[in-house]
Amino acid sequence: MRWLTLYLRSRRAPIAMAAAAGCTALMWSLWSIFSDTRAAGIPLVILTVLLLVAALTVTLGGPDDALEQTAAFDWLPRRAAHLLAILLIVVVLLLATLVTGARFGPAGLVIRDAAGLLGLTALSAAVLGVARAWFLPLGWTLAAILFPRDEPLLGRILTWQAQEPASTAAAVTAGILAVGGLVAYAVAGPLRVAPAEAAQQ
Amino acid sequence: MIRVLGIELRRSAAAGSALTLLVVGVLTLFFAERIGFASGWMQLAMSQRLFLALLWPLALAAGAWQALREHRSKTAELFASTPRPRAQRAVPTLAAMAFAVVTGYLATGAAGGLWIFDTAEYLPVQFFTVTAVGLLALVAAVWLGLAAGRLLPWRVTPPMLGIAGLGLLLLIPGATRPRGWLALVFSPIYEMNMPGEYATVPARVSAAQTVWLAALAIAAVLLFVSDGWRVRVAALLPVLVGAALAITVMPHQNRVVTDAIDPVARELVCAPDEPRVCVSRVHSGLLPEVVAPAREALTVLAKLPDPPVQVNEDTTTYGPMSFAPWRPDIVLARIEVGTDGRLANRDTVLTETVAAAFAGAPDCEQYPASPDRLAAAYWLIGREPAAVTTYDPEVNEETRQLWRELRTLPETEANARVVAFRQAALKCAAGDGLFAGSSR
Repeated sequence: MRWLTLYLRSRRAPIAMAAAAGCTALMWSLWSIFSDTRAAGIPLVILTVLLLVAALTVTLGGPDDALEQTAAFDWLPRRAAHLLAILLIVVVLLLATLVTGARFGPAGLVIRDAAGLLGLTALSAAVLGVARAWFLPLGWTLAAILFPRDEPLLGRILTWQAQEPASTAAAVTAGILAVGGLVAYAVAGPLRVAPAEAAQQ
Repeated sequence: MIRVLGIELRRSAAAGSALTLLVVGVLTLFFAERIGFASGWMQLAMSQRLFLALLWPLALAAGAWQALREHRSKTAELFASTPRPRAQRAVPTLAAMAFAVVTGYLATGAAGGLWIFDTAEYLPVQFFTVTAVGLLALVAAVWLGLAAGRLLPWRVTPPMLGIAGLGLLLLIPGATRPRGWLALVFSPIYEMNMPGEYATVPARVSAAQTVWLAALAIAAVLLFVSDGWRVRVAALLPVLVGAALAITVMPHQNRVVTDAIDPVARELVCAPDEPRVCVSRVHSGLLPEVVAPAREALTVLAKLPDPPVQVNEDTTTYGPMSFAPWRPDIVLARIEVGTDGRLANRDTVLTETVAAAFAGAPDCEQYPASPDRLAAAYWLIGREPAAVTTYDPEVNEETRQLWRELRTLPETEANARVVAFRQAALKCAAGDGLFAGSSR
């Protein structure tokens, strides 16, 4: 238990989780106030998933990743558990809205996008570092929201975030990104940066 | 100062931002939708403005990312200890990031320009004002990002700001409905989608947008260089004044840009020799392609009594309804521009131009159906109707059938029918088609 407390504190998990909850509350209130329909617009749902993933991205790296690496235990299951916990938080926060007056659904889309975006973020964290991990998820998702394509197959793959929940191509793309990110991050961990930069991570 | 700026350009996020904007801009311009800017420079400028929907949030995020640099490298305290005013340190960063987004946007425009360089000839002054407003929007965004990154130095600020930026752009039209002109003040992308052939942006619209974006940029600079709450509160002033002024300048009516028509772009430009063939100025680059089939069509039509002697482009607009000028001796031909900037209906322009001679005035209430016109045209040309993939299959089938019926008639009777069809069309009475009044 003590290890977990210290770990979460070193990753600034409390503030990140508060930010995620705050973002959900903000988007939920915005939709409740400004709309008459119960089901939130699909672009807004995708933006909210992206927002939550971005808010929780900071926890993927600690103050000194190189030092962490020297610990006398296996990081792999811990990192994997960390990613799964983030996925769980995002999904639970959004699915909780399904019983309220402003629904952020459908559930299939939320789960697919959360898993895919988190995988992409984890992959970026392993390759580019945690500070730059949001670059690709943000750019890709904003483009997919603005210009979704359901024809041809390549369009469905490239704009997987904005596809129907039933789309197989989008689900497979998200699955590959999720598994790829999980494996890359669990095995390699976040990219270790130069100490001057790592001092403030 | 120049040396410092040079260092800042190399050591900041400027190069990466410019490159990102260029790559994202070019990808969206060519692949996000069907290429919509092939017909002219104005269409290119307006398409670029539309794709600010993506570039504007990215510029916000890029600015915030750059502003976090000192925070990331933990040198904020060190710099705060230097006895220099903060403004002096802020100017190179502001300049470098502004230079980056301007370069990215202009380079994207240049990529689009290369695509239409040899076909687009009409370059109106609005092209430059629309592009300038787009540049100002990006500069304001990147400076706002810098300000936000400085005031909220957290690692989540850049992505959050990007998401908020897109959310804002998506929400503005809904939030201002039914006053669409308000959305036009605050959103640089509003009403820029699918520009028509004669699209333009009225000067007052660009002026109002310039005022608002400039005010936003000034507020962002104040926030970025500020050291205390006084300046930060003062930054509200340009925002309020700018918004009030911009709302005053903007014409208070909806669809100002959508309904705007550039009369100069719509004017007819004619080929030098007789018989006269004219296209609108915006399509003047297509004139060499149009002249040969148009003159061939006139030769074919010469078999009719009182034949038409001139081919004009059909410049009728439906946004605000405005008909193309017409006389009985003029044929109005439709000109379509393909995604490559050249004539799209190259294979069908001859038959369509001949068929247009049976359409009558553009403001007729009774309008002959296109299979009738096409069948008459094919009969006059003396060719079997080809299946045209861009038409409705039913139109192709019906054209072929009508043409066969004409062929079964004796030559003189068929000729009389076609002549009568044209005479009826000129009197706006050809609604019943080629075989009107006969027992087919």
